[in-house]
Amino acid sequence: MSQDWTPFSHIVVNLARQIRPGEITFSGVNSTLAMLACLLAKRAYDFHFTYLNVAGGVEPLPKKIPHSSSDPALIAGSPAIFGNEDFYDLCARGGLDLVFLGCAQVDGQGRTNVSVIGEWKTPKVRLPGGGGAAVMMPTAKRVVTWRTEHSTRTLVEKLDFVTAAGNLQTVVTPIAVFQKRDGRLALESWNPQVTLDQVNRRTGFRFDAGGAQPTAQITASERAALESLDPRGEFAAGVRA
Amino acid sequence: MTLVAGLRAAAYGVPFQPVGGVHGSDLAALNGWRKIQDPYGSGQEVYVIPAIRPDVAVIHANEIDEHGNARVLGSPFWDHPLTRAAKRVLVTAERLVSSEALAAQPELTLVPGFLVEAAAVVPRGAWPGSMHPLYEVDYPAVEAYLKDEHGALEAHLAAAPEQERGS
Repeated sequence: MSQDWTPFSHIVVNLARQIRPGEITFSGVNSTLAMLACLLAKRAYDFHFTYLNVAGGVEPLPKKIPHSSSDPALIAGSPAIFGNEDFYDLCARGGLDLVFLGCAQVDGQGRTNVSVIGEWKTPKVRLPGGGGAAVMMPTAKRVVTWRTEHSTRTLVEKLDFVTAAGNLQTVVTPIAVFQKRDGRLALESWNPQVTLDQVNRRTGFRFDAGGAQPTAQITASERAALESLDPRGEFAAGVRA
Repeated sequence: MTLVAGLRAAAYGVPFQPVGGVHGSDLAALNGWRKIQDPYGSGQEVYVIPAIRPDVAVIHANEIDEHGNARVLGSPFWDHPLTRAAKRVLVTAERLVSSEALAAQPELTLVPGFLVEAAAVVPRGAWPGSMHPLYEVDYPAVEAYLKDEHGALEAHLAAAPEQERGS
């Protein structure tokens, strides 16, 4: 694996970089990249944090990395099972520091749509729904989302439907990292393999790019952890720019 | 989580269940969810989800005895609120065991038999899903089923474990 970012490594590593020491962190269903980010942070970073997942795992040590982020393989090695009711309740009472929640669309205020493209009653695409997003996004201390497609139809000025709103802090894509500043998503960094102008043209919401920098290079330990999680490149093959 | 709130309301025997969050979501208007002021004066506004009382809950268990006591290993997902909220509970299980075997560790019994109307022993009954710790998700079978082509559903049904047993 070269020093250059790939779409896959830019998403997974920059998701992992949002995790802070001592935090209680959670990844949910249909969130393979977030699951990989949490497992990467465990291997690459020299600090403790607590990793919970939707399978009910607490600090799991999976023997193999499952395709699905809700696979019971994610309770292997776990000393406890902290299931659906427990982690939602923990979030609602303010006990989850960092929650990874997927989305189909995200707007400039950091609200997400996982429900429908088009009108609710006459949808162009009916999406699977938010799971617990409407409950978790306002109650988690920080929420991070990601998109494998960075385009004007995924990063939008106006959502087709607001599934969840609240404490979204970070959006990670193959080419950019946005952080919420004063209630709006602002560009924090961009993948140096593209230009700032390309990020602008591919983003549907207007954003402040003041202070934005090229994304800091992947470190040796991040690269080693990513290779250990995806030795045959199967997960990477699922992410195209 | 709003679904669980509705199931909990039914399980608790009350018409609605308060739930954290939901603020700012279009789901509230879409579903007609109301919010109420904390009657004890904290000033907080809380969404309340109406009770959801399923007619029937069907769950798959690891072990069951002849009285319908059902043991579930691994993560219980929604099994607990579902089996308390539903009017009727049906259980399929990997294998039949003695009541003495369940009584040796009663804390592993997720559903007591008096709540269970009927049960069937269906080995590999969670296929193509997983059953901890017996078998994992059959990803190739899931992918084959998802193919948008003629006969995918029929092929999936024909490959089900109960077909192999001819039952």
